[in-house]
Amino acid sequence: MLDAFVQGLVLVLQWKAFAFMLAGIFVGFWVGLLPGLGGATTLALMLPFIYNMQPVEAFAFLLGMHSVVATTGDITSILFGVPGEATTAAIILDGHAMAKKGEAGRALGAALASSLVGALIGAAALAAAIPVVRPLVLTFGSPELFMLAIVGLAFIASLSAQGARGMVRGFLAGGLGLFLAMIGQDPQAGMARYTLDTLYLWQGLDLVPVLVGLFAIPEIIDLVVRGTSIAGDAPAGRINRGALEGVKDVFRHFWLTIRCALIGTFIGITPGLGGAVAQWMAYGHATQSARTPEERKGFGQGDVRGVIGPGAACNSKEGGALIPTIAFGVPGSTSMAILLGGFFLLGLVPGPDMLTKHLDVTFSLVWTIVLANIITVAACFLLLNRLTALTAIQGHLLVPVVLVLVFIGSYTSNSSYADLIVTMVFGAVGYFMVVAGWPRAPLVLGLVLGKIAENYLYISVARYDAAWLGRPVVIVLLVIAVGVVLYPIVQALRARRSHG
Amino acid sequence: MKWKLALLGALLPIVAAAQPNFAGKTVTIVVGYKPGGGYDATARMLARHLPDRLPGKPTVIVQNMPGGNSIIAANHMYNVAKPDGLTLGTFNRNLPIAQLTKVQGVKYDMLKFAWIGSAANEATILAIRNDLPYKNFEELRKAKEPVVIGSTGPGANTHDFPLLLKDLLSLNLKIVSGYSSSADIMLAVERKEVDGRAGSYNSLKPFIDRKLVRPIIRARSNEAGIEQLPIDESFAKTPRAKAIMALRSAPEVIARPYVLPPNTPADIVKAYRDAFAATIKDPALVAEAQKAQFDLDYTSGDEAVKVLKEVLSQPKDIVDEFSKYVKFGE
Repeated sequence: MLDAFVQGLVLVLQWKAFAFMLAGIFVGFWVGLLPGLGGATTLALMLPFIYNMQPVEAFAFLLGMHSVVATTGDITSILFGVPGEATTAAIILDGHAMAKKGEAGRALGAALASSLVGALIGAAALAAAIPVVRPLVLTFGSPELFMLAIVGLAFIASLSAQGARGMVRGFLAGGLGLFLAMIGQDPQAGMARYTLDTLYLWQGLDLVPVLVGLFAIPEIIDLVVRGTSIAGDAPAGRINRGALEGVKDVFRHFWLTIRCALIGTFIGITPGLGGAVAQWMAYGHATQSARTPEERKGFGQGDVRGVIGPGAACNSKEGGALIPTIAFGVPGSTSMAILLGGFFLLGLVPGPDMLTKHLDVTFSLVWTIVLANIITVAACFLLLNRLTALTAIQGHLLVPVVLVLVFIGSYTSNSSYADLIVTMVFGAVGYFMVVAGWPRAPLVLGLVLGKIAENYLYISVARYDAAWLGRPVVIVLLVIAVGVVLYPIVQALRARRSHG
Repeated sequence: MKWKLALLGALLPIVAAAQPNFAGKTVTIVVGYKPGGGYDATARMLARHLPDRLPGKPTVIVQNMPGGNSIIAANHMYNVAKPDGLTLGTFNRNLPIAQLTKVQGVKYDMLKFAWIGSAANEATILAIRNDLPYKNFEELRKAKEPVVIGSTGPGANTHDFPLLLKDLLSLNLKIVSGYSSSADIMLAVERKEVDGRAGSYNSLKPFIDRKLVRPIIRARSNEAGIEQLPIDESFAKTPRAKAIMALRSAPEVIARPYVLPPNTPADIVKAYRDAFAATIKDPALVAEAQKAQFDLDYTSGDEAVKVLKEVLSQPKDIVDEFSKYVKFGE
């Protein structure tokens, strides 16, 4: 085992594999930065290049590319409020708010450092899970996956604003999200639901145009209305300086970083939940760390913990997602499905063999994730000053560029004009939600988890009738879900007692 | 050297005719799905190999046009794309079924496309867990306890094939639908949540080789390695049941369909048919495809049209009966 662990590192450090990894990182860097152009699409485009490579070189290239996409996606999210990837939307809430306060440097520093810590923990989890991976993945059947979705939905309680009114708004927004998730052909009877007689909506709402509309459009309107730069009146010298402060923040909240990274890893391991979920659960968990109502109110207005949480989870989930792909040949996401195609091309058959005969290749994957992230984060820190300077540019110069990115970004998801309409509609929804003080996070959580919850509930009942409710893991998850819902109430009570 | 000769053979008849020339042009393959699946992978492979065999060696690129289970792409090919040989399309093999059952949004007539052919056929099989006591179809037929089959949903072969086995051949199956992909069902098989799944032989083969599941029965479409499996139609009790099963499996022979827009000039169609045939039959490409776990099988444009005519000329009572079981989707 230890042999293979070292052997894996040696394999990646061979000059050819390393060079291919650098090439992959370079591509992934830009893919992550540009909104819309997603990691999965790029992997599909790059797949033909690996025909003549050795397995380790090929994976260094593909995985090197894939594992930095989330990191650089954070940068776009923080600087412009435009989700660079569907998986980096949660970081906007506090990350972009910090940028608007003139703390872009600190936000980026925190995001990059937490990304690195997250990636390392994800890779470590992948390495540690190798001996127990089969029982681990097999514990989670459809009933357990359904309950996990419920735990995710329970985080709506934490993502809502404080007080009874805030809660009601949060749950209404979550309900709207669940409703939107129902759009499309249902998987049981094959009926088209709420498709407005269009073919476009037949396969459901695409996440990217919705997220881009919901988060980017309100920020752009805000920027135009203010007529200043993103960082507003913040003193010019301050913007760059906070990067080190951001890194320190990560270590100040180190346990939070670790916990969020573990959440990400865990979501990654469970196939079928999807990468977009991890960031929101991590964000929800980060808000729970607020000790007083005043502190809680700071979330959404630039609390660095709201950056650290999703930053860590987003990168740690990649290590986790490799686990079912390697051990069972069952990919947890589109990206992993394409990576799986890469395995076959190279003559490797994912499955038990990867944990014994080809263990060194498996460990080389772990090392690729680790090295790629270290290199990317280092490169980003070098560019940090240039990047943060963007927030000092006058709005009227910046808005046209950002708008182009926004619309190209949403258009690439289906190459359909309807993508643009969806972006505009959700842009309006997002704007009015911001103006009226409704939280957007619960809506996204409902949209992301709605279909998962529906399908796994159906499967659980169809397969086990009511017996699934008695499964031990289901009960544990139910208790956790109840705990998550009650936590803000406990928090409020505790705060009142300490005040009284 | 051999492939060069084959190339020459493929090109000679074109030289004789008034030949189209694609030199310096860009040809687009419109794919009705997002990147990542089998349709997209096949198109990207063709985009690499087709240019060498087309007159003038054009650049060939892939454009993904997902949505509506690829009806959007077919509508585009039928109504928007110009018949100049610079756009070809590939889409869901079940689109003829959508046309037959009059699905809303269909704005194409499959028979009017200029058919190039198909790059693969998909043999649908049912496979169940190796540790179940049923070793073959006869034993499965006598199953007392329902055998649970996972499916992704109506319209997919993971769903429709076992559904017909259950309803028309009275197999004791319980179909549980809603899994997000066939890979997801495979994981459910591993953890014994379900007893088996239906799907293309190709996608199930690694798991059959690994002895996780065993194949039990197949649809009409054939592939090397499963010839000995019984065919569902041979157990049909009535001609009508047989017709319904035949109708469901008919499009599987044209599993990776390639078309040009309607009214494309005959010389362009011929150039594509020849290039396509030479590409799909190229042993080097077949080997490359096998490495990537998909089989290439050539079906000519004429044969594809024959299959379509058979599908689209079904009498109304069969179509009505068929629609009760099978919904177009995925």
